[in-house]
Amino acid sequence: MKIVFDSYSATEVIPVAHCLNNKKLAKYFNRETAAAIVCASKLLRGLTLPTETPFYYATGTLEYEDYGLSYIAQDSADEQGKFSASLFIEQGLSRVPPINQFKVLQNMPLCFVAIEHQLTGDNAVIYSAATSLLLCVLTAVPPRNILIGAGKVYNHGETQAGFALVDKQEIEQSPFLSFTGEAIDLFQAWALTV
Amino acid sequence: MTPRVVITGLGLVSPIGNGVQAFMAGVAAGKQGIGLIRHFSAQPFPSQLAAEVHLLGETPAGSEVDRKAVFLEQALAELLTAHEKFWRYSPSQRLLIVGSGLDYFDLPGYINSAQRSRQQWHSFSKNSRQAVLKLAAKYDIQGGVHVQVAACVASNHALGLAFRVLQTTSHKIIIAGGADSMINPLHYMGFYKLGALSNWTGSPAEACRPFDKNRGGLVLGEGAAVFALQAMTEAEPQNILAEIVGYSSTMDAYTVTDPHPEGIFLAKAAQQALTGAGITAHDIDCVHLHGTGTPKNDVAEAKAMKLIFGERFSTIPVFSLKGQVGHLIGACGAIELAAVIYSLQTQSVPVTVNFTEADPDIPLRVVVGKPLTTEIRYLLKLNAAFGGQNAAMVLKKYE
Repeated sequence: MKIVFDSYSATEVIPVAHCLNNKKLAKYFNRETAAAIVCASKLLRGLTLPTETPFYYATGTLEYEDYGLSYIAQDSADEQGKFSASLFIEQGLSRVPPINQFKVLQNMPLCFVAIEHQLTGDNAVIYSAATSLLLCVLTAVPPRNILIGAGKVYNHGETQAGFALVDKQEIEQSPFLSFTGEAIDLFQAWALTV
Repeated sequence: MTPRVVITGLGLVSPIGNGVQAFMAGVAAGKQGIGLIRHFSAQPFPSQLAAEVHLLGETPAGSEVDRKAVFLEQALAELLTAHEKFWRYSPSQRLLIVGSGLDYFDLPGYINSAQRSRQQWHSFSKNSRQAVLKLAAKYDIQGGVHVQVAACVASNHALGLAFRVLQTTSHKIIIAGGADSMINPLHYMGFYKLGALSNWTGSPAEACRPFDKNRGGLVLGEGAAVFALQAMTEAEPQNILAEIVGYSSTMDAYTVTDPHPEGIFLAKAAQQALTGAGITAHDIDCVHLHGTGTPKNDVAEAKAMKLIFGERFSTIPVFSLKGQVGHLIGACGAIELAAVIYSLQTQSVPVTVNFTEADPDIPLRVVVGKPLTTEIRYLLKLNAAFGGQNAAMVLKKYE
């Protein structure tokens, strides 16, 4: 099994631009997506995956990035400090660009990695759990050469990403099959053993 | 031999009726659930159209309520109260797989709180997975809980995963489906800012117009639908609603903003699902499409239909539910699967509401006027997601 696990501190620049064929895409990325792109690029460097490669991704809970929420909150409060629908529409939203919607959607890391590596096969985006990611692998079509990934941005700002190429058979025989917890923790544990 | 997988129960809440009976009656009657937003004050909003769920005896809820979690709870209650067989499986044989939308964020609650000044917003974000785990605990589901979050195909992925799991191991019952509501200030306006919402200025009920020449965007809906899936060998025949015979998912890998204009990978998902079902496109009698009523989606779907069916693509009857219930995003595949069951059980293709003028770019056979009664043995269900994910499922009338 080949695996890559990356970690970035809250202030660290994630060097995603050099991993992109179309560098303009970077404006759509949150830190989880940027880390996923870099991590997948490291894993797949020198490899050309078949386009039908299955690809499953586990996204972490939103804990750090607020995507302009502080601006919206500040501008949508009236003089008493209460939410005002009028101020929300007239002022709160105006400081947040439409492009931020792409940073909120949970399937974006998978979609952008798929675009970058031209993956068009079976896919799923699951919410955080390692067991869910492994279940996707165990039922994958086809059962070999499966790309899996996970990412998370922690409350303290650290961003993590992990990617691996696996076969169903090796997961079935892996001691990590019974791993509980978040998928990103599975990658961290895996990386220590490979 | 691969085990056959069947649907043996469902529960739902929707903008056209809460509970299976009310929903099916709504589909049959072409009931339209789109109107002006009622559950929060949207008066200053540039768009106020939505397909809301109206729960019996509902009083205006506080903004702290995650509506999709409430809907999921109600749909599960309907399903599991009626499904006697569920309780005969041990807790470790019960699984819950749910397609969900974004975590709900209580923006008014956050702004009105003292936490705003400290930018401590986390407690106002309602984790979708935690909500599903809570419901799994309520029903003693210990065989696995999985939450899919691939936007508009999240519930398709949930149902597809359930289908695949039951193809590999039969001694389980899987509750699968989806729940979502984007009808809150933050998420609603997020869609508005993307330019995705309908620009219709006429009657609200007519705002979502799948395949129509004058379609102008989607209308957000909300609700939940959950299904009980079992191996056919373990199901009681009188409870079987339909058989799932094929499932596939693909990605466009094209752009995150638009579907692939030629519908190539949507068609590929359909073709793979047909292959998995052991049939060809010739065997399909009816197609329930994604049909968002957006300018680009409906054209791409028509092109995918041509790739799937060849010259037959303009004669096979098609249907979209979204004119009635809006776009349930993470739950659209699930609520629309309930309409698939309606078609299989009544042997009819419902009317696609608000289709009044054909678009030359979408030469599909959209049913108008009155439902089309026809023999439906195999039905193809298609959905696609913002970001370029596609899902296809083939269902068969139980016989």
